[in-house]
Amino acid sequence: MLDTFEILTTSGVVLWSRSYAQVSPSIINNFITDVFIEEKGGAVAGAKNNQSAAQNPPYRADQHTLKWTFVKELGIIFVAVYRSLLHLSWVDKLVDNLKTIFVDLYGDQLKKPNTTLVHCHKFDEYFDQQLRELESATATRGAPAPTFALETDEAISGNLGDEPPLPPGLKHRNAKAQDDLPSTVESTPIATPTSSRPSTPGGNHLVVGKGGPMSKMSRRARKMQKGSPAPMSSGDESSARKKKAPKKGRKWDADGFADEEDDVQLDYSAAPNSITSDSEVEGRSTAIDSVDSSTWGVKTSKGQFVLRDLDDEVHDILASAQSKPSTTSNSGLFGSGLNTINSLFRNVVGGKTLTKEDLAKPMDGMKEHLIKKNVAPEAAVRLRDSVEKELLGVKTDSFESIDTRIKKAMEVSLTKMLTPTSSLDLLRDIELVTRPSGFSTQKARPYVMSIVGVNGVGKSTNLSKICYFLLQNKMKVLVVAGDTFRSGAVEQLKVHVRNLKELTEREGGRVEIFEKGYGGDAATVARDAVRSATSEGYDVVLIDTAGRRHNDQRLMSNLEKFAKLANPDKILMVGEALVGNDSVMQARNFNASFGQGRTLDGFIISKCDTVGDMVGTLVSIVHATNVPVLFVGVGQHYSDIRNFSVRWAVEKLLNSN
Amino acid sequence: MSSPMDQLVEYIEYILTPSTAVFVVGTLIVFLVPIIVHILVTRATPYTNLPSVVLVGPPGAGKTSLLTLLERGDAATSTHTSQVPQSIELTVSVDQHLSFREAVKDDAPGEHKKFLLVDTPGHGKLRNFAMDSLVAREGLKGIVFMLDAATLDENLAATANYLYEVLLALQKRVMKGKTSKTPSVINVLIAANKSDLFTALPSTLVKSNLEAELGRIRKSRSKGLLASGVGIDDVDNEENDDWLGEYGSEKFTFGQMQEFNLEVDIVGGSVAEAKVDKWWHWVSERL
Repeated sequence: MLDTFEILTTSGVVLWSRSYAQVSPSIINNFITDVFIEEKGGAVAGAKNNQSAAQNPPYRADQHTLKWTFVKELGIIFVAVYRSLLHLSWVDKLVDNLKTIFVDLYGDQLKKPNTTLVHCHKFDEYFDQQLRELESATATRGAPAPTFALETDEAISGNLGDEPPLPPGLKHRNAKAQDDLPSTVESTPIATPTSSRPSTPGGNHLVVGKGGPMSKMSRRARKMQKGSPAPMSSGDESSARKKKAPKKGRKWDADGFADEEDDVQLDYSAAPNSITSDSEVEGRSTAIDSVDSSTWGVKTSKGQFVLRDLDDEVHDILASAQSKPSTTSNSGLFGSGLNTINSLFRNVVGGKTLTKEDLAKPMDGMKEHLIKKNVAPEAAVRLRDSVEKELLGVKTDSFESIDTRIKKAMEVSLTKMLTPTSSLDLLRDIELVTRPSGFSTQKARPYVMSIVGVNGVGKSTNLSKICYFLLQNKMKVLVVAGDTFRSGAVEQLKVHVRNLKELTEREGGRVEIFEKGYGGDAATVARDAVRSATSEGYDVVLIDTAGRRHNDQRLMSNLEKFAKLANPDKILMVGEALVGNDSVMQARNFNASFGQGRTLDGFIISKCDTVGDMVGTLVSIVHATNVPVLFVGVGQHYSDIRNFSVRWAVEKLLNSN
Repeated sequence: MSSPMDQLVEYIEYILTPSTAVFVVGTLIVFLVPIIVHILVTRATPYTNLPSVVLVGPPGAGKTSLLTLLERGDAATSTHTSQVPQSIELTVSVDQHLSFREAVKDDAPGEHKKFLLVDTPGHGKLRNFAMDSLVAREGLKGIVFMLDAATLDENLAATANYLYEVLLALQKRVMKGKTSKTPSVINVLIAANKSDLFTALPSTLVKSNLEAELGRIRKSRSKGLLASGVGIDDVDNEENDDWLGEYGSEKFTFGQMQEFNLEVDIVGGSVAEAKVDKWWHWVSERL
């Protein structure tokens, strides 16, 4: 059973919700954060516009599964939450159908500026109707009665026509259900005989109907079969296979149904209808009106007026949504010529609605530009896709060219990608650990940082730069020689520490080195160092590690043990700005090497002074890991380390020369 | 009967023959078309001139809830993490001391004034919306910084960090504006939300905690590294540019912000219990 269904806007307001079981709001909050904001889980998984819920990857969070779909132009998200233990195959359909209905009914209200009010309390009825229909349809599928199963199947594989009936649970269903919206609409078994809809007259009729294929249908069902487009009536015509209504405009013409009147025994209009009963009275009294009565009722051949119930309305909406794509036709040569001129004009003046074709070329140009800036193609493609997704259907401002608009959107995308989720103030973090406030229960301990990376990227150099920065802030630092492998590594650190000591003697910082020579296990050395630092009251422990190739399993596996024993507060990876496409795999492999639940905490990008504007590596690694960049190295001296500034990077990346 | 072709020829001849009527119509077209185009273009942006109040604050503080409460007047709807800014149009009565429930009604007494209430996403990656509107927005009348007083103990560092950014951006705006049109006093309301919860701190405690934390942040920032790009491109950056409040002072207090024409008030309230009238009055007085 469904736990919760919510319709919310991108601005965070819940427009409509239905809850069957208490679900913590944090589940949906986390879902939004992960899927839409941080775009976790690979490329542009987040926020694909108007995609069917079946294609959006379900989001799983402790025992719950979320199925969702998103309408970009209106900025609304549809989320269904249910227990992961249950396999509710119809949830996809429910989400899709409700999306179609909601957009159709309330789309206009959503477009109003400067308000969050949407009057949609009537949506309850539509929701109930859909839920009932889909749930009962699912129940039908498992039903033992062969004829019923047959009919359901037939309804789904509508275009099979006169072919012999297929066994229950046939493949067409599954294949079709995977399709986009149209097929889900089509596969919604609308009025299968077994679907019990007590409040709707159709269901009642069906239950008492005769056994023959024709008489099984209600009068209304046959009417729909005659006069309405195929997809909508596909459920109803299930038992009358021969009659395949072609796709044509719906006409509520009374004459069309006259010949089938005889085998219907029940007075249809007299059936109690709880849902629309209030408007039914009104419907009867105005039946002779000249207004287009097809919007709310059907006239039978006997002259009785039958109010269209909610089912009809819903099916109408779904059907019209399905037929929409086919109605967009070109009005001849002249029309298309005029369109071309108009779009050329709009290119200059602005106010043009961007389409995929408009965007294709400039977007590829943007991608090339990013790749020239040393962004890995994978990341460039992701950025291009996310910008394209954002711009599709957007209107350009007055006197704004497509290129400017793309640049603007790219700036936003880059900023969003590079901006860290939480603030990164290293000194403040250290202070919190080494001098915890009176309230907190934590004991003071040294702040442990370790630095990893591939060979030759500048791990030791950046470690000493950070050390210098900390020493200037009068901290007691212990440098640990964790590289017990490469010749001269310990000596190199010793030289650094000696230099730093001399440099900062007057400033008041203190630095010592902790080394156990070569050949030892780096993880144990690190653990011992942290222990001794705790007893001797150091503020910060900086652990250097041996450089390792990121695709060498043997070397990388050591890192897990290292992370466990040393348990650093921050694991920073040094990546060079010089590296090209390999940066993505480097970052990914290192990020995944610390075992369950531990990832990198930040990057230091070294050698930024050597690449000029080509700082694309920044983007590549953040794209690969979602881990923020903390520092950039900008020179050879101890003081040449900088906090990473997002604006600086974005400016450099978009700078074209 | 002349054929359509003849009629057309006749018509063209008439247009091309100099006559008073043709001159008058021609002149009218030449002068009126640019004006009409201008009106059409400017009409497309009708909402720019309303004064606005911006809601900022860490995620989960209750910004969107407050927005929906003020708009609906009866109760806040449930909300989730925002991804895009959202502005709503609200009306205050200038001369009457009305509660927000009365003000939301159409027939509220007194002189009416419209303004925009702008909600911004609080998520760390999306704060540039808020920061941009603080720096560049015209007609900015006030900033409401919402925070969750019930969980302030745990979130003090993060909340204060955001507040620091906000205040610093405003301070820079005022400093920059000193030469040209100075934006008059900018008002900041720190709205300590969720006072209905048991663990919520009273506003005095919120104030002292924030001041202490802002002081610590200010100190550690001053000792921190330069941002990339700064050291290389513009070395002549003034040193006290990134220092919030009175330069060199030991302790930070919100009173120091008055030097920069920033008035900071701290008021408690609760969206869940609809106790937001104090905030509402604060907003109405600043418009």
